[in-house]
Amino acid sequence: MSPEILAVFCGSTVRLAAPLFLAATGELVSERAGVLNMSVEGMMLTGAFAGAVGSWATGNPMLGLIIGVIAVIPVALLQAFLSNTLRANQIVTGIGINILVLGATTLAYREIFGARSRSEIPGLAKWAPPGLGELPVFGEALFRQTWLLYLGLALIALTAWVLARTALGLSIHACGVAPKAADKSGLSVTRTRYAAVLFTGIMSALAGCFLSIGDIHTFTEGMTSGAGYLAIAAVIFGNWKIGRTLLACLLFGAATALQFQLPALGIEVPNALLIMLPYLLALLAVGGLVGRQTAPAALTVPWRA
Amino acid sequence: MTKTLSLNALSLNRLGVSVGIPLAAVLLALALGALLVLAIGVPVGEALAAFADGAWGSDYAIAASINRALAFSLVGFGFVLAARANLTNVGGEGQIAVGGMLATAMSLYGGAAQLPGPLAWIAPLAVAALGGALWGALAGVLKAKAGTNEVISTLLLSFIAVWLLYWSVQSEALLRQPMNNSATLPESLEIPELTRLPLLTGDAGFPLHVGLPIAIVLALVVAVVLARSVFGFQLRAVGLNPVAARKAGIPLTRSIVAAMALAGALGGLAGGFMLQGDQYVLKAGFSSGYGFDGLVVGLLARGSIPGVIAGALLFGFMRSGGINLEMSANVPTALVGVIQGLIILLLAAAAFWIERKESAR
Repeated sequence: MSPEILAVFCGSTVRLAAPLFLAATGELVSERAGVLNMSVEGMMLTGAFAGAVGSWATGNPMLGLIIGVIAVIPVALLQAFLSNTLRANQIVTGIGINILVLGATTLAYREIFGARSRSEIPGLAKWAPPGLGELPVFGEALFRQTWLLYLGLALIALTAWVLARTALGLSIHACGVAPKAADKSGLSVTRTRYAAVLFTGIMSALAGCFLSIGDIHTFTEGMTSGAGYLAIAAVIFGNWKIGRTLLACLLFGAATALQFQLPALGIEVPNALLIMLPYLLALLAVGGLVGRQTAPAALTVPWRA
Repeated sequence: MTKTLSLNALSLNRLGVSVGIPLAAVLLALALGALLVLAIGVPVGEALAAFADGAWGSDYAIAASINRALAFSLVGFGFVLAARANLTNVGGEGQIAVGGMLATAMSLYGGAAQLPGPLAWIAPLAVAALGGALWGALAGVLKAKAGTNEVISTLLLSFIAVWLLYWSVQSEALLRQPMNNSATLPESLEIPELTRLPLLTGDAGFPLHVGLPIAIVLALVVAVVLARSVFGFQLRAVGLNPVAARKAGIPLTRSIVAAMALAGALGGLAGGFMLQGDQYVLKAGFSSGYGFDGLVVGLLARGSIPGVIAGALLFGFMRSGGINLEMSANVPTALVGVIQGLIILLLAAAAFWIERKESAR
């Protein structure tokens, strides 16, 4: 493999992994707090849609990004209300929200764009860290990315720090492992879980915006096409630890990028198998073949004060 | 005397809760859907007419809706069966895909058409059910041996199966039809006439197939197994308290694997029904959302077989109506997705009150 091809491969791996980074980090926080957000797919789609509409309507992708994040808040609050206040089944509500959002965004997209569906949507600018962008071969292909990626990486680093080093991180952990003890020690499990779900929503919206206004500068119906489920798979594969989750996202991104690279190298592997690979790896991981997985003890268990 | 009376009043009240609340949720979701139709600028009357026409406007429409409902109900029965052991089978989508693939392989290349009499269509169905059973059992084994959460494993298995299906119709070495030119679609050949499910009336204008009586028999079998058999009792014991069940000598691993395998078999059979009953050709979009709809039907039924049937019919007619909504009234099918999503969320929310009423008793 020539350095050029390698550089392009690394670049597209990172680009394809970026939305997974964001969504999986959000999902990780909520799962660590005990809520399995199956609705991360719907949250991503909400962000992708609202971000695209906002950017198209205002002509300003930055405003689009803000609108995308704001639009996800009602969706996240709905998930939080159903799973924390009404203690509804988290899988049912997640799938319900995904079906609802897919329908609603498709409907709204046709209404708003209709015949204008080919109109240009302003996208987020690309940026490379000074110095890295000037590297030979790799600078352009790997480091020149939508700036949202770099913002996302900063947010992820912040999240990792909060989870590992702060009282808030400890509270989140406690709510997912021993909600009863957390409650006894004066912590509001419900409030913590609300906040965790809201955080998932915001991160997922950023992930969705990365897809629509960051990467391809348009919106297509159901464009997340399973990325949200992939983010959940990454959290599982990552054994609910942030570093391993990010590695899983990178692995999934690489598997997807291979689809475009292998034919260039003259290697014929069916696309479907490469797309399937992340799910297969995640299955092997939860099956205990990649070391013992330990989910937060109270994951999917509604809390009753 | 007074005792029986009050018991009757109680069960009536319970009926009111278990039928009234879902009915209210469905009606509310439909009303919200009507508002959306208005917002789009299509007269509600016109949209309703198109919906009704597609759902039950002709013999053909009625049969198509019921055939859809059959697939949903099978997945739903499987869900209820596994749920009795406190297992959540989210894998209907993958089990349908596996069933569809195997039924296609058996019909086209397994020599099913050469089998005598009804075996020509029974054999592919059986293979589909067997494949679904293995797919489901895999999740059961992972659960019993590695403690893997079956929600996660069945979900992952679904995605794997869906992409296997995609691969199988893309690759000529597998199920893709022989490519004569570049326009050859990535789908299988049509399955032979003999391997298709016989139509009950023999009339292609009313294509209700033999899956209907099969599903009715299966509904009765599942209901009886759950309510009356030792196996049904064991499942419930495992679901209520696995530790106590093990102490009582109930084989835990075997019960879990059997429950998931049976749920998977029903999902695989649904795939066979869809392929041999109305699609006849395997395509990438073959299972699109049917497994998730069936899952939701099972979830909403709250453990009741009649509930599964009601939900499956509702979703079957809604899907058919929704397709026509787009074709004749220019309202995107997506509207049906919105209404379905609303129904699911309203019922999930309502479960809170239902449970409170039930525990208050």
